[in-house]
Amino acid sequence: MKKTSRVLTILMFVFLYIPMLVLIVASFNTGKDLTHIEGFTFSQYKELFKDEDLLTLLGNSLLISLLSTAIATAFGTFAAVGIHNMRPKMRKLVMNLTNIPMTNPDIVTGISLSLLFVFVGTSMLHQRESLNFWTLLVAHITFSLPYVILNVMPKLRQMDPALQDAAMDLGCTPLQSFFKVTIHEIMPGIISGAIMAFTMSLDDFVISYFVTGSGFSTLPVEIYSYTKKPMSPKIYAMFTLLFLLIFALMITMNILQIRGEKRKDQKRKTVDSHGKKVFRRVCAAVCSVAVLGTAGLLIFGTRSGKVTLNVMNWGQNIADGTDETLDIIEEFERRHPNIRVNYTTYDSNESLYAKLSGGGLSVDVIIPSDYMIARLIQEDMLQKLDFSNIPNYEYVQQTFKNTDYDPLNEYSVPYTWGTVGIIYNEKFVDPEDVTGWELLWNEKYKGKILMFDNSRDAFGIAQYMLGYDVNTEDPQELADCAKLLKEQNPLVRQYVMDQIYAAMEGENAWIAPYYAGDCMMMMDANPNLAFYLPKNQGFNLFIDAMCVPTCAKNKTEAELFINFLCDPEISGANMDYICYGSPIEGARDYMEEYLAESDVIYPSDEVLKNGTSYSYLPAEVSRSMDEQFMAVRLVGGSTEGGSSTVILIGIIVLLVAFAALPFLPKRKKKK
Amino acid sequence: MKKNKSLLLSAPYILWMLLFTLIPLGVMGYYAFTDPDTGRFTFSNMTDLSAYLPTLGISAWYSLLSAVICLILGYPVAYFIAHRKPVTQKILYMLVMLPMCMSFLLRTLAWVGLLETNGILNNLLGLLGIGPVEMIGTPGAVILGMVYNYLPYMILPLYAIIVKIDGRLIEAAEDLGCNSRQVFTRVVFPLSMPGIISGLTMVFVPAVSTFYISQKLGGAETMLIGDVIEKQFKTSHNPNLGAALSLLLMLLVLGCTNMMSRFGGDEDGEGGVVV
Repeated sequence: MKKTSRVLTILMFVFLYIPMLVLIVASFNTGKDLTHIEGFTFSQYKELFKDEDLLTLLGNSLLISLLSTAIATAFGTFAAVGIHNMRPKMRKLVMNLTNIPMTNPDIVTGISLSLLFVFVGTSMLHQRESLNFWTLLVAHITFSLPYVILNVMPKLRQMDPALQDAAMDLGCTPLQSFFKVTIHEIMPGIISGAIMAFTMSLDDFVISYFVTGSGFSTLPVEIYSYTKKPMSPKIYAMFTLLFLLIFALMITMNILQIRGEKRKDQKRKTVDSHGKKVFRRVCAAVCSVAVLGTAGLLIFGTRSGKVTLNVMNWGQNIADGTDETLDIIEEFERRHPNIRVNYTTYDSNESLYAKLSGGGLSVDVIIPSDYMIARLIQEDMLQKLDFSNIPNYEYVQQTFKNTDYDPLNEYSVPYTWGTVGIIYNEKFVDPEDVTGWELLWNEKYKGKILMFDNSRDAFGIAQYMLGYDVNTEDPQELADCAKLLKEQNPLVRQYVMDQIYAAMEGENAWIAPYYAGDCMMMMDANPNLAFYLPKNQGFNLFIDAMCVPTCAKNKTEAELFINFLCDPEISGANMDYICYGSPIEGARDYMEEYLAESDVIYPSDEVLKNGTSYSYLPAEVSRSMDEQFMAVRLVGGSTEGGSSTVILIGIIVLLVAFAALPFLPKRKKKK
Repeated sequence: MKKNKSLLLSAPYILWMLLFTLIPLGVMGYYAFTDPDTGRFTFSNMTDLSAYLPTLGISAWYSLLSAVICLILGYPVAYFIAHRKPVTQKILYMLVMLPMCMSFLLRTLAWVGLLETNGILNNLLGLLGIGPVEMIGTPGAVILGMVYNYLPYMILPLYAIIVKIDGRLIEAAEDLGCNSRQVFTRVVFPLSMPGIISGLTMVFVPAVSTFYISQKLGGAETMLIGDVIEKQFKTSHNPNLGAALSLLLMLLVLGCTNMMSRFGGDEDGEGGVVV
């Protein structure tokens, strides 16, 4: 028995630590991803310390967790004392309230808070940016408070109430007795509460994810968006450093604790002075935290002396300086030293739309595709541009003016154009099978096929397969498409957007539909990959264009940025990295020759005439499409109600009954 | 007078919690019963939920399974730790806690690297001549991810309870003729019930609402309720349906935790957070 539990414990630790070991090894690896170990290097660490954005994020995270911990600890300790002295009934009620954020799933807490902030901020106060630093701080304080209370309360219960009375008898005011007696007794609880609050806050992803706007973000939230894209290994370096830091912290804490206990055993008399010392130390810590916090805020404030331009773009959709390309954003900031670009990404038109219409954030430049621009214009979510600020608009080719989505050229300036085709791995896929979109339904490649994780592109493929119009609003046709996609579901490995890079380059999946430029990037990374455009069935031809949404705060700077990107030289340099076609006259001349000549990027006119573009669909049609696409992926999925409604009601009643259990009057227990 | 003062001390806190926990839930309820287009009162979001019941069922089933697996794996470990010397206990406790402080996103991502078709495990298996095993995208991978991420949440409360069990009780049981199996089933196990309950809850609640684990380790057919909710807010943009789903999820979690704490006879109402 003992032996087995020893073995089990060792195995459990191996299980817990192996993934972390993998990450630490990866931080010294010269290879591009986790799985291929090529050589040893420290360069990721150098890269990490050069990366201002990552360091800022780490600073943001620390700032939020230090501030929220300090506030929650002070606030919670007083509250705990108050709750402790309450009448039992009242105390029970307040403790129930305290338990809400503890028992609720994080996702529910996050969603409810974000709905509140958006509801109050946007609908009632008409703020442009209702999700910001302060709402994030409030959210963190809210979920930290219960940890403090629940750690302090037991210590208060253990404390001898006579102690406080004695202090008061000796002439202390209640306040003095609190600071001179009570606080020393409950100090261990305060400290462990604060530590828990701090670690929870530092590592919180789910709640922050829902209450983060566009301006201020924390490390875990950004790591989430990094893990969707091809990951830069410097993240692993950061992980390793954080691991070492926390490991060191924990060890020192343990040593201090063990020593403290020994000392306590040796001389019980000195407990008081020891307690005082601890108290002073904690006070000093809290004060320095507060000072640091305000300092941080001040830095935060002065930084805003520069105009922060919030740019939101597709993942992997701007040259970032890797592979000897031009770092577009750095170049822009160099030319306009008073502007700082805050660059974030989204992975589909739909998620951009959700971000914008969810409210609560402020973005200055967005780069959606044609049909989404039409929808945004329709719903009054874009501002008309002032073209006198965009003189480079003259370089835009005629074919990209007066388009369906923006017939009067008021709202948008084209950024790229491209096609949607199939990327496949020549090593595994039989060339005879590559005949058209039906490749994505080929049973032979079950589990090796990836599919679009957005409804419009997925339905588009089904529409090309069935020969329907891609802009159909006919419910029957849409239902047919959904049926076809449902048939595909068992063959699909995963529904992906930016994650496609890792899966295709690592050869874990073999076939996927995707945007041509991104395919070109993947083909650069893995020569086994090839691109196929099903020109007989038809394919999507899209334009991504730059727009300024109504929630923008810096329209002039946004137009400056748009103008900058329309410079033929800049556009050409940008396309060298992102591998799309440039709508800017002359940009092609600045591109590397093999890219400028590539028929993936610039297909011939004969091919292009088979392409069709998506156009605006009414809100209820896109919603129904979203719902049907969701149903494709659900177990037993159909969003049609019916007899299951009865079951639903039954389950809800049952759950409500169980949820209400603690509030029902209880029979007193016999002793 | 003292009572009044104490109320004064905690009044700001109560106000804060009302403002930022109860009222948000109220707003969520409001969204759940309004129409996304017209903003009028409607039951349609609630009736739409029926389509998501199988998904809810699957999520509950996976997380229940992983909670039980965590219990089976975690109990011997907690028991082992609780019976070491105090210093060793502290170190082992710290080692269990450490992974909880590290980014769970990255740790889950590491599992992707381990389990991929061309991943580390399959490369090792390949050396033994075993062909690549498809692990990513299976329910097993999702459950593994849950067990891995939430195992410490099981071990810590179990340890906290087991370490407090009075050794004399065990001796007494032995004196009264129990063999070691009986000591365990009749004394140790019943006494550790509160730890088991709080461990199960602490694994079940985050597991049933996760979306990251199923996104990374799951495949096309393992969409969980957390994913559906996340999508309603982050891609489909139907916050009303999302709010209704969250309400359902909240009810499920509340119902389950209450049932469990009833079952475990944990009347303090504070068993859920013994870490």
